Amino acid sequence: MDERIAALREALYALDGPTATAISTELIEAGVEPQRVLQEGLAEAMLEIGRRWNAGEVFLPEVVAAAEIFKQCQAIVEPALLAAGGQTLGHRVVMATVKGDLHDLGKNMVGAMMKTAGFEVHDLGKDVPAERIIEAVRELEPSIVGLSSLLTTTVPEQRTVIQALEEAGLRRAVKVMVGGAPVTEDWAKQIGADGYAPNAPEAVKVALQLAGSERPTEG
Amino acid sequence: MTARQPAGPVAAPARRVLGLPLRHLDVLSEPTLERIHRATLQVLERTGVEVRSEALVRRLAALGARTDEHARRVRFPPEVVEDALALAPRTLRLAGRDPACDLELDGTTGYLTVDGNAAEILDLASGERRPSTKADLAEITRIADALPEIGFCWQPVAARDTPLPVQPLHELHAQYTNTGKHVQLMTAALPEQARGAVEIAQVVAGGEAELRARPVLSSFQTSLSPLTYDGPALEAAEVYARAGVPAGFVAMPISCATAPATRAAALVQSNAEILAGVVALELLVPGAPTFYGACGTVMDLRTGAAACGGPEDLLFQMAGAQLARRYGLPSSIGTFATGAKAPDWQAGLENGLSALASWLGGADMLCGAGLLYGARVYSAVELLLDVEIFSLVRSLADGVPDADEDLAVEVIAEVGPGGHYLAQPHTLQHMREQWQPRFFGREPWEDWEAAGRPQPHERAAARAREILAEHRPEPLPPGVEEAILQVIVEYERRTEGAR
Repeated sequence: MDERIAALREALYALDGPTATAISTELIEAGVEPQRVLQEGLAEAMLEIGRRWNAGEVFLPEVVAAAEIFKQCQAIVEPALLAAGGQTLGHRVVMATVKGDLHDLGKNMVGAMMKTAGFEVHDLGKDVPAERIIEAVRELEPSIVGLSSLLTTTVPEQRTVIQALEEAGLRRAVKVMVGGAPVTEDWAKQIGADGYAPNAPEAVKVALQLAGSERPTEG
Repeated sequence: MTARQPAGPVAAPARRVLGLPLRHLDVLSEPTLERIHRATLQVLERTGVEVRSEALVRRLAALGARTDEHARRVRFPPEVVEDALALAPRTLRLAGRDPACDLELDGTTGYLTVDGNAAEILDLASGERRPSTKADLAEITRIADALPEIGFCWQPVAARDTPLPVQPLHELHAQYTNTGKHVQLMTAALPEQARGAVEIAQVVAGGEAELRARPVLSSFQTSLSPLTYDGPALEAAEVYARAGVPAGFVAMPISCATAPATRAAALVQSNAEILAGVVALELLVPGAPTFYGACGTVMDLRTGAAACGGPEDLLFQMAGAQLARRYGLPSSIGTFATGAKAPDWQAGLENGLSALASWLGGADMLCGAGLLYGARVYSAVELLLDVEIFSLVRSLADGVPDADEDLAVEVIAEVGPGGHYLAQPHTLQHMREQWQPRFFGREPWEDWEAAGRPQPHERAAARAREILAEHRPEPLPPGVEEAILQVIVEYERRTEGAR
């Protein structure tokens, strides 16, 4: 089976979605442990793509395309994984573009790059109200919540989400990262976020630092 | 503007505005231009644009667009596009509060604006980056007022210390009190903000009819690439148009992210977005003054950010101006806006080439001077350096006049072989036509060392401080500022009530 898992990784490198999903299905149907498919196949491939990005061999659009194939394959593996008792990949990240904002390009880039660092990314989509983010934090118990907004008019919503986390008694359970074109380091500090990054690659570095520290810092 | 006018450091009074005599160099061949045009018509008819307002979609349907109200999709058949474009005025007047600063955009002359709208500013005193304020906006505008190369003003930085719903109105207040030049508002994308802006402009112009005759305000809305307009943004454009305030449309697509990767497709999509805005406006308000705004760049493939400043940008500038000409619309072309973080070699090279591209391409509005870091940080120093570049290109644009006086065969005969031209009347008469740098270093090496090796950006910083210390704009007539503030108070109250 090792060579089929290697072939799965190769399919991700080649950005060949049909082959990757076919091999994933084949492996699960053949009874290979879903955790192996996920870890040694998909996650390992994303880590390698991250290494190649670092070396300047691949570009962001390729990372995003690989992350999309990753998602399709994950959907095939997940039912078997849940049946087998489930296990997480690494640190969990919940990401969302905040309420009122329909721009999800930046968030998607960050999500894709996070996967190259081994994060388990749960993307709540765009125009996401604070209540849904709270719900997801309760349910998924992530290490990090990432909030994105592109408009100056929706940036204040990032503060609303942080306040909602506080009110729900969840603030100390997660690290909050913020980003988006109008967002600055100053703003992040002002609203008591734990991390800020100006672009997707930086976001990964910040997330790794945040995930590495044991307890959330005082905002 | 005559070709004989000396360019360079202009000793003329600050009230005058110096334009750029334009070339119309076609970067797209005739067949390529037509292929892009036809592809654009296909996109407008087949894919159309999303308009995020069901009410507007319904109104556009009644006016000839093919719409899907549920999906908020608006498609324009080619004949609707052509008919609507024919309604748009060919020339545009941008009036200054001071009539000596009036601009006529008729294709012969390009004008430079201060760029906008950064959320951060490089503090002139500390050199550090920090959030921008209304006071910063006022200062940059005051510097712009003193620079004849600046034709009109965008909002260089956001007045972030004012309440968000009325921020654009505070920005207008800061600008009308600090310049006699035309103001083009880029930050009012809600109809209520547009109404407030129109009221302020009417106060400044002296009434409703006066504003129509001499629009001291213009505006634009941006598409959300790919192929989307926010409903309120189009409604705001309509508010402006009904008051006689020019309402343009600007597309800012980023190839590989919000636009296709290939140059031609990026141009097609950008063109479709701009034309969709113009066509929608002409359907809603026939004959409304409008303009064609193109400000495309590519994505930095590594980080996903807007690159700003590469060769693609230069091609987009020239092609954008050419497409605008194809439709008979005045063009607003993204110019300068280097990706550099400091006024350095990269900024100088990128912005030098960018100014050249907009001039050669024939941009009516060159937008604009003073931004760093891909349009995210404003710098008064960069503003002055960009103005220096503009003045250099203006001198280039003067070309080679060839009257007898210019050919000067008599003078050459008089001086003869081995003589010199230093004190010749002809030299004294014409030497000031030569471009004079303000910030370039041409001094001897020894002098340069003795002065502590000053760099162009340091000279520019000193000049910026000088202007701020010296220049006082012509004040508004008595009572006008009070009336502007009254409008702001009224809208502040209204938006609070709405919350």
